[in-house]
Amino acid sequence: MSARTPRWLVGVLLGALTLLGAGLAAETGAAEKVFRFACACDLTKVYTFAVEEIVQAQKDYVELLNLKGGVSGHRFEFLVEDSGNEPQRALEIYERFKRQGALYFDGWSTPIGKALTPRVLEDRIVLGQMFVGRGDAVDGRTFPYVFPMGATYWQQMARAVEHIREREGGAPRGKKVAFVYIDSPFGREPLPVLEELARRLGLEWKGFPVPSPATEQSAAWTQVRAFRPDWAIIWFAGPSTPAAVREALRIGFPLDHLISVVWIGESDMKVVGEARARGVLRVEGWHTGRDVAVVQEIVREVYEKARKGHGPVERVGWTYYNIGLAEVVQLEEAVRVALRTSGEPLTGEKLKRALESFRNFDARGLRPPLTITAEDHGGGQLTRIGQWDGARWTTVSGWKAPFQDVVAEQVRKSAEEFRRSGR
Amino acid sequence: MFYRQCGVRHVSYAADWQLWPLRFERLQVGALLLAAASAPLWLPGLYLGSYALPVIIFATATLGLDLIMGRAGQIHVGYAAIMAVGAYTAVHAVRAGAPFEVGLLAAGLASALVGLVAGATALRVKGLYLAIGTLALQFLVEWVIVHVPAIGGGAQTTLQAPAVRVLGVAPVTTLGARYWVALAWCVLVTAYMLNVGRTGFGRALVALRERDYAAAVLGVHVFRYKLLAFSVSSFVGGITGAVLAFTYYRAVTPEQFGLDVSIQLLAMGLIGGLGRVLGSFLGAAFVFVVPIVISTALPGALEAAGLGLPVAVLSHLQIIVYGALIVGFLLLEPLGLAKIYDNVRSYFLVWPFGYARRTMG
Amino acid sequence: MTLVFLTELAVNGALVGLMYSLVALGIVLVYKSSSVFNFAQGALVMLAAYLVWAGSRVVGVVGGVLAAAAAMALLGLGIERFALRRMIGQPLAMALMLTLGLEILLRGLGPAAWGADTKRFDLGLAEAPLFLGDVLVNRTYLAGGAAALVLLVLFALFFRTRVGITLRAVSDDQVASWSIGIRVERAVGLSWALAALAATVGGTFWAAVQGVDWSVSLLLVKATAVAILGGLDSLAGAVIAGFAVGVTESVVSGYLDQVVGGGTKEIVTLALILLTILLRPHGLMGREIIERI
Repeated sequence: MSARTPRWLVGVLLGALTLLGAGLAAETGAAEKVFRFACACDLTKVYTFAVEEIVQAQKDYVELLNLKGGVSGHRFEFLVEDSGNEPQRALEIYERFKRQGALYFDGWSTPIGKALTPRVLEDRIVLGQMFVGRGDAVDGRTFPYVFPMGATYWQQMARAVEHIREREGGAPRGKKVAFVYIDSPFGREPLPVLEELARRLGLEWKGFPVPSPATEQSAAWTQVRAFRPDWAIIWFAGPSTPAAVREALRIGFPLDHLISVVWIGESDMKVVGEARARGVLRVEGWHTGRDVAVVQEIVREVYEKARKGHGPVERVGWTYYNIGLAEVVQLEEAVRVALRTSGEPLTGEKLKRALESFRNFDARGLRPPLTITAEDHGGGQLTRIGQWDGARWTTVSGWKAPFQDVVAEQVRKSAEEFRRSGR
Repeated sequence: MFYRQCGVRHVSYAADWQLWPLRFERLQVGALLLAAASAPLWLPGLYLGSYALPVIIFATATLGLDLIMGRAGQIHVGYAAIMAVGAYTAVHAVRAGAPFEVGLLAAGLASALVGLVAGATALRVKGLYLAIGTLALQFLVEWVIVHVPAIGGGAQTTLQAPAVRVLGVAPVTTLGARYWVALAWCVLVTAYMLNVGRTGFGRALVALRERDYAAAVLGVHVFRYKLLAFSVSSFVGGITGAVLAFTYYRAVTPEQFGLDVSIQLLAMGLIGGLGRVLGSFLGAAFVFVVPIVISTALPGALEAAGLGLPVAVLSHLQIIVYGALIVGFLLLEPLGLAKIYDNVRSYFLVWPFGYARRTMG
Repeated sequence: MTLVFLTELAVNGALVGLMYSLVALGIVLVYKSSSVFNFAQGALVMLAAYLVWAGSRVVGVVGGVLAAAAAMALLGLGIERFALRRMIGQPLAMALMLTLGLEILLRGLGPAAWGADTKRFDLGLAEAPLFLGDVLVNRTYLAGGAAALVLLVLFALFFRTRVGITLRAVSDDQVASWSIGIRVERAVGLSWALAALAATVGGTFWAAVQGVDWSVSLLLVKATAVAILGGLDSLAGAVIAGFAVGVTESVVSGYLDQVVGGGTKEIVTLALILLTILLRPHGLMGREIIERI
C-alpha cells in the first residue's frame, strides 16, 4: 500500500478531468438546418450481429445524402451510441440525444423500445421500431409517436403459420408444429397468436423454451426430436439463431421445413456454414440483395468514388444492411414531406404527420408498399417467405398479411391494457 | 494555505468530536451542500438529469453497500438485486394506491427482509463462499422478476413508475423535484454513514471486519451484528432502489438491477475507497461519468488523430477502458480516490511549509 | 420411446456438462493454489476461442490450437505476475474485484480486435446425426466431453511430477511451502498458466459448438456452479460435478419445461449453487476447511 499516490497518477486524473470538461463542452452547441436521428442500440451484446450492419447502412446512406447536399437543404446527422441492450443505459442516452435535438429514435430492441415508449409519447419524439418492439404499437391512436412501419412479431407468426397452411395444401389439420424459442419476452410474444391459429387450423403444437442466452440448445432439440414435428418455427436472435439451425441439422430435421422469425441473415448462415444451411425459411418484410438502385448507388458513390464506406463492402445489400437502409430512406421521404407541407423548423410532430401521409411508399424498392395512417402505424404489415439457397436469399411465397383478425385482436387487447395501466 | 491550521487545539470534547474540525472544511461542506441543493436553479437540465441526479443516487447506493463491505468487511456481489427488491416493492405499492412515503418504507423493509435471508447464509459461510452466495441471490432475484408476471409485469418487462407526491401535497414531476427527493435521501444516508462509525454498532462492525474471532472474544455478538449489518445495508439499498426507480428511470426493468450493476457498485466502492464516505461519492461520480465521457470524447479525439474507428470497435473500446480502470485502480491505488484526495489535502494542509509535521492527516 | 428419450437427454446432458467442467477446471486450478476465485475464466475461454479461430485461419486447426495455447499460457503467467501478485496481503474483496475487472477488460478485447460478429469455427467433425443404438449423440459434444476426461487424466498425471508436487504443497499451505524453499509465486503463476491452457481447450470446443463471439464468456455462470458443486479445490470434483449438472439440467428441463411452460434449465443451475452453499459449502469433493462464524 503506497502512502503517497504516484505523481503521474494524479496527472492522469487531471487529464481525465480535462477530457471530461472537453467532452461535456463538445456536447453542447448545435448547427443550423440539421436533421438528427439517433440510435441507442446494442453494439456489444446479443443484438450486435444485426445492429452493426444496420448502423453501417445508416451511416453510409447519411453519407450519400450529405454528399448530394442533404434533403431540402437539411443535412442529416446520425447519432449512435452503445446501450449494451440495457434499457436504463438507453434511457440515459435518449435523454442526452433528445437535448441535442434528435427527432427520431430507434433502439433495435424490444426492451429498449418498451422503456422509451412512455417518454417519446410525452416528449413528442418519433420512435421507430421496425420488426421489433411492442406489437400493439401499430395502434396509432394509443401510440401516436411510435412507428413499427412493418410486421409485428404477431403478424410474423401469422405469416409463418400461413406458409405451413399453404404448403400443406390448405389443410394442415393434424400436422405437428414445434415452436422453439428463447425464453424471453421476445420469444414468448408470439405464443398467443400461435395458440389461436393452431386451434383454428387444427394444428398440433408444442413450445420448447430455451433459457437465455440460448447458445447451447441440445436438450431442447432432443425434446423436439421426440415430438417428431412436421414443421418447426424458431424465434431467436443473435448467436442463438445459428445454434438453433445447427441443432436442427444435428437431429436431421429438414431445413426447408424450418421457419425463422425475421432475425436471421447472411452472417448467421456463415456461422452455420453457407452450403449446409441450404433450405432454411424465414419471414421477411423487406428486400435483400444489391439489385435495388439505391444500394447500387451507395456502392458506386460512397464505397467506390468517395471511399467513405463505414464497414466491409461485402455486407452492403445483406439482410440487416437493407433493413437499416430502408429506415433512413423512409426518414428521408418523411423529412422531405414534412418540410414541403409544414415548413421549417422540423419538429417531432411534423415528422409524425409526414410519416402518417405515406401511401404505397416502397422505400425506393426496399420495402413492400407501405401505407401509414394516423390509426395504423403498421404500414400494412406485409411479409413474405424467403429461403436460403446456399448463397443468397430467394423468395418462395409473396407479400401477404394473413389472419389479420387474430393479430388485430392481440393489438386491441394489448393496447387497451396499456391505456388502462400505462405499461 | 486554505486550511490555516498548525495543530490540534481543542479545548472541549464537543470540539474534538466534530465531524469537520477545520473551519475551512466546514465552509467547504456548507458550500457544497448549498451548491447541491440549488443545482436545479442553475445547472442546465442535461447535466442535472443525466449526470448529477444519477450520480447522487448511485453514491447513496454505494454508501449502503459500503456499510456491509467497507465497514463490516462482508463481500456482497448482489447489491443490485437488493435494490431491485426495493424498487419493485415501491412501484407495486404506489401503483396499488399507497402514498409515496409508505412505498419507500415498504421498499426498505422488503429489501431488509431479503437481505436478512441473504445474511443468514453469512452465518454458515464467509469470505469467498459468501460472495458466491450473494451472486446466487443476484441471479435468483433476476430470475424471479423475469419469470413471475405479478412482479416483473410479464411480457411487458418495463413497469412504469407512477407520478408521486411528497407528503401528499408536493408533486414530484419536474426534474428539479425529482432531484430534490434523491438529494434529500442522499443527505440522510450520508449523515448516517458519517456518524455510524462513532456508534457502538459501527465499532462492532469494524471489529467484525478486522477479525471476527477477536470480536467475539471482546464480547461482540458476531451473528447478531452480521445480520444487523446485512439488514441495515439492505434497508438503505431498498429505498435507494426505489428512489432510483421513481426519480431517475421513472420505470423498472430487470436489467436496471442486473449483475453488471452490482459489479458497477462494487467498482464504485473500490475505486472510491472502501470505508470512506467521500470515497463513495468520488467513486460513483468516476465510474458513472467516465464511460460517458469516453464514449462522447473518444470518437472525436480519434477522428482528430486521423483514426476513424468503426462504431463497433469504439463501443468495445469503452468496455476495455472500463475494465482497465478497475484493474488499474486496484493495482496502483488500492485505497482509491479518497486516498488520493487525502494525499492532496495533507499536502495543502501545511503548504507552503512542506517540512512541517502533518497533524491533521 | 420414453426410455430412449431419457437416455438421450442424459447422454447429451452429461457431455455438455463435461464441457462445462472444461471451463470450471480453470477456476479450480487457480483456487487450489491461491484461494482466489477466478471470475475471469469465462473471458479467458472467450479470448482463447478468438485466438484459436484466428490461428486456425493461418496455420490450420492443430497449429491454431497450439499457437493459442502458447499465447494463453503466457497471458496466464502475465496476469499473475503483473496483477494478482500485487494483491497478496490485500483483502479478499480486492482480489475478487481484480478478476472481475480482468473479466470486463478481456471480454472487450476479443470483439474489439476481431469484430463482434459471430465467427464460425469448425473442428472438421461432421454435423450429420450420429446414432449410438437409438440414441442420437452430438459429435462435437462427444469430442468435448472426451477432451475434459483426457485433460483430467493429464492434470492428475501432472500433479504426480516434481513440479506438480510443489503445486500440491503450495495448495496445502503457502507459508510452510515457502519455508522449505518452494517459490510460491512461481507456483501460483504456473497455476494461472495451466488455467489458461484449460481455457484454450474449453475455448476450442465451445467455439465449435456455438461459434466465437462475446457470449462464450457467459459460460462463467455454469462453470461457477460446477466448480462450487464439485468443491473449489478438487479437479476430479469439477469433472464429476460437470457431469451431474449437465444430466440434471437436461433431464429436468426435458420433463419440466412442458409442465411449467418456461425454460427451467437456468433455475436448476441456481438451485444447485444455493443448495451447495447452504448444505455443503465445500462441495462434493472439496476439503472441508470452511471457517464458520
